[in-house]
Amino acid sequence: MYLKQLNMVNYRNYKQLNVQFSPNINIFIGKNAQGKTNLLESIYYLAFARSHRTNVDRQLINFESPFAKVSSRIYKRQTSNILELVTSNRGKKASINHLEQKRLSAYIGQLNVVLFSPENLNLIKGSPSQRRRFLDLEFGQIDNRYLISLARYQRILKQRNTFLKKMTYQKEPDFLYLEVLTRQLVDVAAIVIELRLKYLTHLEQMAKDIHFQISNQTETLAFHYQTANYDFKQKNDKQTVVDFLINQFSKVQNREIKLGTTLIGPHRDDINFEINDKDLQSFGSQGQQRSCVLSLKLAEIKLIKQVTHESPILLLDDVLSELDSKRQAALIEIIDEDIQTFITTTDLDSVSKELQHKPTIYEVSNGNLVNKGVKNDPK
Amino acid sequence: MQYPLPIAKLIESYMKLPGIGQKTATRLAFFTLNMEIEDIQDFSKSLVEVKTELHYCSICGNITQEDPCEICRDERVDRSSILVVEQPKDILSFENMGEYFGLYHVLNGVLSPMDGVSVDDLNIKSLIKRLQDHSVKEVILALNSSSEGEATAMYLSKLIKPSGIKVSRLASGLAVGSDIEYADDLTLKRAMTGRQEV
Repeated sequence: MYLKQLNMVNYRNYKQLNVQFSPNINIFIGKNAQGKTNLLESIYYLAFARSHRTNVDRQLINFESPFAKVSSRIYKRQTSNILELVTSNRGKKASINHLEQKRLSAYIGQLNVVLFSPENLNLIKGSPSQRRRFLDLEFGQIDNRYLISLARYQRILKQRNTFLKKMTYQKEPDFLYLEVLTRQLVDVAAIVIELRLKYLTHLEQMAKDIHFQISNQTETLAFHYQTANYDFKQKNDKQTVVDFLINQFSKVQNREIKLGTTLIGPHRDDINFEINDKDLQSFGSQGQQRSCVLSLKLAEIKLIKQVTHESPILLLDDVLSELDSKRQAALIEIIDEDIQTFITTTDLDSVSKELQHKPTIYEVSNGNLVNKGVKNDPK
Repeated sequence: MQYPLPIAKLIESYMKLPGIGQKTATRLAFFTLNMEIEDIQDFSKSLVEVKTELHYCSICGNITQEDPCEICRDERVDRSSILVVEQPKDILSFENMGEYFGLYHVLNGVLSPMDGVSVDDLNIKSLIKRLQDHSVKEVILALNSSSEGEATAMYLSKLIKPSGIKVSRLASGLAVGSDIEYADDLTLKRAMTGRQEV
């Protein structure tokens, strides 16, 4: 999968931009605050209909403009589709081949993107919500059922939380209705957890191999999915998950009513990472955590390839300077397999020589892009 | 320039209707200006009457001129089954179908804590009261298949089942005359689960 041409109108500091890209490696070079990351962000935005940097769509619109537009034709092995995303204060409109999509869940997944940015390096140490967000985005873009179930889960969760808040102050709360809401929540939660486990197991397998290589065959990486503080394995079928959750909910019911909020479920779950059976979050070194995130990101590329039979587009935002030559080598091995890659950097020196093998280089300055042409093999 | 008060007030009134903004309201107001006086009198009379002449049936919650409503009073109606719907207008759909000859019960909405709708806001107590009379053998839940509609149906079935009365829910799946090609995953899944032997 690759995009040939990107069109932007009023997107951040780009008033108007039409640019052609190479299906291989594209490097954006320029000083700080010129719009390099904005370019990557716009591709990410086209894929997920949301930015990785902000939740406020208004910020994506150029100052004093009423709307922002990003569009591109996405080439896949057999087909090509035009994706277009328009944001204004009335919300966003997503269309595929000029047909507006009423549901974003029908739109997301058309363009598969893997982004690797310095913030990702916090994935292990950061809050559980960052890890859940990672799962939701990555699995959402490869499985429509995941997106739909998650949206349904969030709606029922909102109903249940509102009802629990009301119960907190009631003398004779309606336990029957709570039971119904719990049952409804558990049914969808089980689907979400089942899908998370399914893809996480694939991801673990692939990340394990990659990590093993980066660490000179010394480290074994493992993931543990945790729900209600229990480790969950893939072999659990849906009914086991349902029974488990119902049992857990009955234990926390009084606390839930007291606190007025739902305490168990996919919105509270987490993943733990282990290297050689040691918890990575507490005992891992900076370097180990970095390798783990890289392995995870590379495994993600492989997973998307396996599920969709297309390579995703890889976005590397200023991250190469954070990776040493060994880790860059692992990256190059994957990119070599025909993955369209966009790299931002302030100077070419941090980009490994192998990656500079015939990239197309663009100089970015103040919302403008100049194609510096294909850089020839430095050798 | 401001409109004369009568027309400004009329525009404001039209804007209270759903889906009508200022432009449409203005157009409607000026159209009203050119209508025959009899038509306008009829119109305003029905506007008032819809509120003063119509009541909710004290038995089933349907809208009616006389209490109890026509269906509840009808001797020929099969009194062994009650079909539960969300809105009075749903009754009309079933009556037009012409295949159901039992009683109805209007909930007047579905349970939705987010929108502030709880059990006491719906006609649930009156439904339970109706079931105490032993003539009812089956309750058919005909609620929308939104997640709120389904929660409400589940709630009612848990409430009624202990009394031994049969509780059923409308089937969901493929719409008649629709293409499988255009059906979404969830619909197909429902259709599969509820498949029937032929």
